[in-house]
Amino acid sequence: MIWLETIANGIFLGGLYALIGLGLGFAFGVMRVVNVAQGDFIVAAAFIGLYLAPWVPINPILVIVPVAVIAFLIGIALQRLLINRVLGHDQIPQILLTFGVAIVLRNAMVAGFGANSQSIDVGAMRFLGFNLLGIRLGVLPAVILVIALLLFAALHLWLHRSRLGRLIRATADDYQVVQLQGVSYRRVFAIAMGIAMALSAVAGVLLAMRGSFTPYSGADRLLIAFEVVVIGGLGSFWGMFFGGMLLGITQLVALKLDPASGLMYGHIVFFIILILSPNGLAGAFRRVVLRK
Amino acid sequence: MSLLSVENLDVFYGDFRAVRGAHLELAAGQTIAIIGANGAGKSTLLNAIVGLSGRKSGSIRFDGRDIGREPTDRIARAGITMVPEGRRLFGSLTVEDNLLVGLAAERPGPWTLEAVYALFPRLGELSKMTAGSLSGGQQQMVSIGRALMTNPRVLLCDEISLGLAPKIIGDIYRCFETITASGVSVVLIEQNVVQACAAADYVYCMLEGHMSLEGRPEDLSQAQITAAYFGTGEALP
Repeated sequence: MIWLETIANGIFLGGLYALIGLGLGFAFGVMRVVNVAQGDFIVAAAFIGLYLAPWVPINPILVIVPVAVIAFLIGIALQRLLINRVLGHDQIPQILLTFGVAIVLRNAMVAGFGANSQSIDVGAMRFLGFNLLGIRLGVLPAVILVIALLLFAALHLWLHRSRLGRLIRATADDYQVVQLQGVSYRRVFAIAMGIAMALSAVAGVLLAMRGSFTPYSGADRLLIAFEVVVIGGLGSFWGMFFGGMLLGITQLVALKLDPASGLMYGHIVFFIILILSPNGLAGAFRRVVLRK
Repeated sequence: MSLLSVENLDVFYGDFRAVRGAHLELAAGQTIAIIGANGAGKSTLLNAIVGLSGRKSGSIRFDGRDIGREPTDRIARAGITMVPEGRRLFGSLTVEDNLLVGLAAERPGPWTLEAVYALFPRLGELSKMTAGSLSGGQQQMVSIGRALMTNPRVLLCDEISLGLAPKIIGDIYRCFETITASGVSVVLIEQNVVQACAAADYVYCMLEGHMSLEGRPEDLSQAQITAAYFGTGEALP
């Protein structure tokens, strides 16, 4: 029974990890841009959430809405003002640029907010629980999983059903040819980066509600995001979701067996998958199930 | 006055001058063909017109306006688009989604989804298929249809017969009668000289980056074309 509870909590945590990976994976899938600053933007979003949460009506968890809007605008500005200037066949300038942004952002946060550990207060919901099949689970982690699932599904539907979603998919396939159809790929890239940042910001705020964060948490968040994206299979949508699940479950089961292990076993699983299937879960799925 | 006019165009890849002093005139409603060997600069010339090439100098005027410095998406919105070499479909999108991307140019006109399906009935049956899974000929139809969906005034076609079976090439070229009848002016790049001369009102031959010969197909002799194509001078029998 205790294992069932651990696995259920692993799934809850995994949903959030998947959401952390989604922003990075989406930006990479559309633009082939690796935004190294994503982890620090996630922390910055948590700070914005920390200060906005007391002002949000109904329930503090709704703070994800204004934070997502702010992050969307920041993403557009980041792409238009900085990343669009270094686009090209060589990816090193993008990585250096976003790495620089990450350092500036992190130190600005230390200077502005101090290095203390913080957490977003969600009031009584943090301690509420419910019974399912005889096991006791937390309401907040379950709500966070539902939000993550809804965001994955909403993004998937929007990409496949809307006009702009179609242009984003076309741009991801061939950003040069899409211009011949009258599409400015720079504009599409800016919107895609806005969406990636909004998704990451939601993940950052939810993570700050479940646990704590400091201005230095960005590197850990980025590592999780990278592992989710690579385990899932670069650019694979639902692969990322299950990648997050796998990391979350592994981490909690391992902590039960070896309380001092931290994220180590998650990293070990990551390496095993990378060796067995360099294309991640999506690659293994295509090979084994679809036999391609 | 011509609709599209290129004068004294140079295009560079790094230090290499791939197009040297090329010129071209396209009148409204006309179909012209550019022939020439591999590496003669044909594709580079078309890419330069739509703004996809590197550094260039010279004049490119469309409808009296200089478009030499415009980005590709603005040129497409103004009414020049291209069927790129190798088709370059959006491989993960369905046939229908590929065609609908053309709506982004926001140019209303005769070419709608229904009109494209009427031109290529096979595409209507395949509309929900992923573009990457189609045969070469079907992909070429999607690529042409996608370009038409922008309702261009000028359609540039880069080697649409490349790698296709002769029967399919014939089918595709027959569709150009409908396309030109709708008012679209066409520039074809073609390696097959016979095909080019049959389809075009006027032919340019390119050699080493410049125009080595031009004229109406009926005015050009086989020997003239051969000499201009291969650069063998007038010495041939």
